[in-house]
Amino acid sequence: MQSEKSGPLQVVGRRLPRVDAKERVTGGAVYPADLKLPGMVHAKLLRSPHAHARIRAIETTRAEALPGVLAVVTAADFPELPIGASVPMGETGYDMWMVAQVNMARGKVLWIGQPVAAVAALDLHIAEAALGLIEVDYETLPAVIDLAAAMAPDAPVLHEHVFTKGVEPRPRTPSNICSRTVIARGDATAALATAPATAGISVAIDTAHQGYLEPQATVAEVDANGFVTVWTSTQGQFTAELMIGRMLGLPLSRLKVCPLEVGGAFGGKIIIHGEAVAARLAQKCGRPVKMVLTREEVLQGGSGPPSAARIDIAVGADKDGRLAAIKASYHLDAGGLPGLGPSLVMQASAALYQCPNLDLQGFDVVTNKPRTEAYRAPGGIQAAFAMEQAMDALCQRLGMDALEFRKRNSSVTGGLMPIGTPFPSIGLTTILDRVGAHSCWTDALPQGRYPRGRGLAVGYWRGTSMTSAGHITIAGDGRPMVTMGAVDISGVRSTMAQVVAEEFGLPLDDIHVQTGDSKSVGYTDPAAGSRVARTSTAALVEASRDALAQLRARAAEKLQCLPDQLDYAHGAFRSRQRSGAAISLPELMQATLTDGAVVGRGVSTKLPLGVEIGAHVCDVEVDTDTGLVTVLRYTAFQDVGRALNPIAVEGQMSGSVVQGIGWALMEGFDYGPDGRLRNASLLDYRMPTALDVPPIECVIIETPVPGVAYGVRGVGEVPIVPPAAAIANAIARAIGVRMRHMPMTPERVLRALNA
Amino acid sequence: MKTLITCTVNGAEHTLLIDTRDTLLDLLRERLGLTGCKEGCGNGNCGTCTVLVDGAATNACLMLALEAPGRDIVTIEGVSLQGKLHPIQRALVEHGGTQCGFCTPGIVLSAKALLDNNPSPTTADVRHAIAGNICRCTGYDKIVDAIVGAAATLQAGGR
Repeated sequence: MQSEKSGPLQVVGRRLPRVDAKERVTGGAVYPADLKLPGMVHAKLLRSPHAHARIRAIETTRAEALPGVLAVVTAADFPELPIGASVPMGETGYDMWMVAQVNMARGKVLWIGQPVAAVAALDLHIAEAALGLIEVDYETLPAVIDLAAAMAPDAPVLHEHVFTKGVEPRPRTPSNICSRTVIARGDATAALATAPATAGISVAIDTAHQGYLEPQATVAEVDANGFVTVWTSTQGQFTAELMIGRMLGLPLSRLKVCPLEVGGAFGGKIIIHGEAVAARLAQKCGRPVKMVLTREEVLQGGSGPPSAARIDIAVGADKDGRLAAIKASYHLDAGGLPGLGPSLVMQASAALYQCPNLDLQGFDVVTNKPRTEAYRAPGGIQAAFAMEQAMDALCQRLGMDALEFRKRNSSVTGGLMPIGTPFPSIGLTTILDRVGAHSCWTDALPQGRYPRGRGLAVGYWRGTSMTSAGHITIAGDGRPMVTMGAVDISGVRSTMAQVVAEEFGLPLDDIHVQTGDSKSVGYTDPAAGSRVARTSTAALVEASRDALAQLRARAAEKLQCLPDQLDYAHGAFRSRQRSGAAISLPELMQATLTDGAVVGRGVSTKLPLGVEIGAHVCDVEVDTDTGLVTVLRYTAFQDVGRALNPIAVEGQMSGSVVQGIGWALMEGFDYGPDGRLRNASLLDYRMPTALDVPPIECVIIETPVPGVAYGVRGVGEVPIVPPAAAIANAIARAIGVRMRHMPMTPERVLRALNA
Repeated sequence: MKTLITCTVNGAEHTLLIDTRDTLLDLLRERLGLTGCKEGCGNGNCGTCTVLVDGAATNACLMLALEAPGRDIVTIEGVSLQGKLHPIQRALVEHGGTQCGFCTPGIVLSAKALLDNNPSPTTADVRHAIAGNICRCTGYDKIVDAIVGAAATLQAGGR
């Protein structure tokens, strides 16, 4: 489709406030917990007290008899879905059997906190009292809480149907190791044996949490005809709709999901958590049902945390510092159900290095803990914590500058990804050059009271594309009204308003953008994988051009000329043949309002990848008396393709870095031997406050992606990848000790110092 | 147990029958419909429910509704009057200091408590003042810049 515009960008790329900021600063933004419907009642979940147990029976009569209780549901109220029943979501899809287990255990509980029943009652006090009256007869089973226990030869098996995939011949007995993934080229073992310089590290990473401030909340209502409406906090209304529909056995035409404001998600609000249960309760009691999770529920089992991991890496180089081999194994703790799989993690950790010999093996392992879910570049920070420390140790072995080493081995456009396909346009070498010229790298490290060090780490995330749709209706006053399928978790309403303003040559204030519910806009995958700004841009550029083509035809008729004799700029069509013959969009729409709607449609399905790459430099001071690590200075470099709005890009980068610093230094789940989370509160699970982090300097580099509207790359995920590694490398250079356990709490730093 | 209380919120007096187990947050959100204050944790650890009680930034989830009588309570709904944003709110908009927005009302009130008492805070003062408000999205820089900017606006007599 021909572009209607030319010349320098007017709105895209400018530092503009978010279009939805005012309602946020006034408290007017509506999140699902804020909804109140007439006759609405309140739901609570009963959760498993055991990490592994068979459910023999659930007795709900006493709870149902409590005055004020309107409905009770258990797994018996939902259709039993076959293992492997899938709903689409990108390349892989979601196993609905697993989604159903996460929302309501059937037959067996696999972690403490897994839902086993739910109650709807007139108020929360009654609902809570009713939970105490539900009797669940459990036969407790031996539980496996960590990776080592789960992989032991005589370990209790969580799932009788899971046989390790990726192993030949196919195993005869079920296993807690769900899959083995191999990425290999050349002969890494031989190359390591002969490499003049080698280094290696084994690390363990504790589970953390996405830490979104808004606990999951949902309201479900059933109308007199049985049509179900669900308002919820979700990253994807269409994925949620598919999941709710399957769990309820409800045709999609009988169901609508309305996404409200999302108070943070970061991967934790892709799959449903309670929506289908609230809807079933609403069907049973005939009243709207609200379910809001508590913080303890969120942490203990509400949404899945990201994977714990054990990673072992050996790397080798020749005497000039050219990488000869990477050999690594990745064990990812999936929690109670098979996980996302280690492939992306393995790719992420090795992608930025050109290396002739690779031997990467990954294992997806189940344990009796909450089923893990995505968290911002899922697995990326764990992988970088291991790989970037191994590379840094190799630099030290070689006596080589860490930046020079990366430059010598960096992946380039057209080079091979770990899986063997060529890299699309990437700007890693540009990023590394920018690091080398920046004061964060060239300034001498100031002296402090305690030892200080400077660390460098690079990070890669592949991101994804998948499907985004949107349409633009031209209002009677000629202004574009945008409805997009993308849920706004990163300011995408604002950046898309900028894109449409640019396409129409109109001021930003003329554009209205909303996210549609699952029945008012085309199918759109969830806001995940750094895909939404890129793919929505492509979809809305197409929709804008479609709408403008329709407007052009109308304008030609009004001005009595051929469509291609018209120029369009700044909201008006002008004849090239007859000077003065012109019509503005408001005039055109007023003149043709009764001719039918002008609706431009756009969809983006298979956009080229916009891989994300960043490099981070940080200075730390290590208090050798207490083990406390203070981050003194932090600089993040990232190639974003094109910054649609630099304020939004910086917000994504800084927020992502601070999450990374949090996991690096303070955030970790502490599971007891019984599988109980011992720090299920925000006092004991500490996330960074404004006092825990320094200012984050963001350096935006723009290498546009060819063939993608405005050349946009993903932004939000990769900045969480390098922080733990950059900090660990800084610590190693400060005190000469490698950190092998994340988070790097003061206690662990002291132990490492005294080891 | 139910009891009758009279309290002043955003300058308006309310007389309500409350459950003695209710927190101030329950009172504000569920009874008065002031849903700008949020419940992020219910334990006083996240700051999303911050309101001003007699001018002090206070976690509404840690105060019983029973304690409300006799106090001057201000919520986010009472900060911008007649639709005009307070300079703190305007600065947060302009600096990009709000992302998901769930922490934002609490941040505004913690910042207001600071600036009402300390008109020209340093960035360290600002970071201390909002240390009880967790923000998971921004990394804090744009919030700190906004509050420092708002202080300058207020000092210059701006509204």
